[in-house]
Amino acid sequence: MIAHHPDDALLMAYAAGRTDEAHGLVIAAHLFFCAQCRASVALMEKIGSELLEDIAPEPLKDDALNTALARLETIPPTPRRRDVSADGTPLALRPYLGGDLRDVRWRKMGPSLAYFPILRRGSTSVRLLRGAPGTEVGAHTHRGMEYTLVLRGGFHDVTGSYAPGDLQVADASLRHSPIADAGTDCINLAVTTASLKFENLIQKIAGPLFGF
Amino acid sequence: MGYLRCKSLAGSMIRRGSACVKSAMLAYAHPVPPPTAILLRMTRAGLEMDALLARVAGFRDRAAFAVLFGHFAPRIKAYLMRLGAGPAQAEDLAQEAMLSLWRKAHLFDAAKASAGTWLFTIARNLFIDAIRREKRPELDADDFMPEADAPPDDALALAEGEGRLRGALKLLPPDQAQVIALSFFADKPHSQIADELGIPLGTVKSRLRLAMARLRTAIGEAP
Repeated sequence: MIAHHPDDALLMAYAAGRTDEAHGLVIAAHLFFCAQCRASVALMEKIGSELLEDIAPEPLKDDALNTALARLETIPPTPRRRDVSADGTPLALRPYLGGDLRDVRWRKMGPSLAYFPILRRGSTSVRLLRGAPGTEVGAHTHRGMEYTLVLRGGFHDVTGSYAPGDLQVADASLRHSPIADAGTDCINLAVTTASLKFENLIQKIAGPLFGF
Repeated sequence: MGYLRCKSLAGSMIRRGSACVKSAMLAYAHPVPPPTAILLRMTRAGLEMDALLARVAGFRDRAAFAVLFGHFAPRIKAYLMRLGAGPAQAEDLAQEAMLSLWRKAHLFDAAKASAGTWLFTIARNLFIDAIRREKRPELDADDFMPEADAPPDDALALAEGEGRLRGALKLLPPDQAQVIALSFFADKPHSQIADELGIPLGTVKSRLRLAMARLRTAIGEAP
């Protein structure tokens, strides 16, 4: 059961096509897990179609239909694409990983933490993070927003407990120190819109080296 | 004379089953028009557009395509212009959206969405690609964790839900309706929408949340 969801404003931005690639990816991956938010996005898309229905139409050029009809015969139908994942990786993620989660070429950051960079656009970064059971990510605050979606395992911090599919949205006001749950590795998809502010001296120095 | 023949034919049909009677009476009442003409006479309801789209998928029906084009292309052009496209670009993209419909009609699943909703997502994705120039990470329609998903509605239930949604949208308080419309028609983050309306971001978000709660209730989903 998913306990932590994106809010309606974020889902609406996604449904209306206003999210950038980084936010779009974390929402698409959350939807893979969450029937409730899939229903919300489906409803928002219906709202979009109602607004489209009510819009004052803008006439096309006189020959627009004939131009389209003339092109129809030259267009082959799009083949039915069936991408599949062998380990339950959300399909939206696969093109960014070059395969499934189990194929990811992790980069080590110390004995129990690893990461994989997915995307960097301006000050926004998307990456996978993997922590061994019990790993503590040092206390930090945020200069921007941090979105963390659990893909495997789980973690907990002052705000609660997060399991696969749960999305944590942290803003500049949150100071936290997430700890990976016992049992299995915790794998998260994380979007940050600005670098993090670590409190521990070593992480303060190492963070920027790894692009955090 | 014709009436009598019809009546006696109907009488013989009755002994064989009432469904036959009905179709025989109908056949006598009007010669069967070509199917596309029937569709053209139907009211402009969502189901009609769905039927036309099914004909494009099943028969590559150009006449059905022409009706869909006449209805949707000028709306898609208007929608893209609202989002900042120039008239020429919006026209090209509206063409592109309709050709996409022709290419992908066989992938359309009437149990999941109406033709109108599907066209909206096609137009929205063109907006993302061509105007925002972003990549859209695709949620594959069938890619999700197989868990407690509600069984899919049939197309009729879907159309009824859309009818209720249409009614509920018209009844939204103006300040909520405005935030919904700006969410779709202004290519701006909610923070900027808030600035322009001269209200705090929290108010924009709460209006959106209230509106969504009403609409979820209207279509019978738990708020």
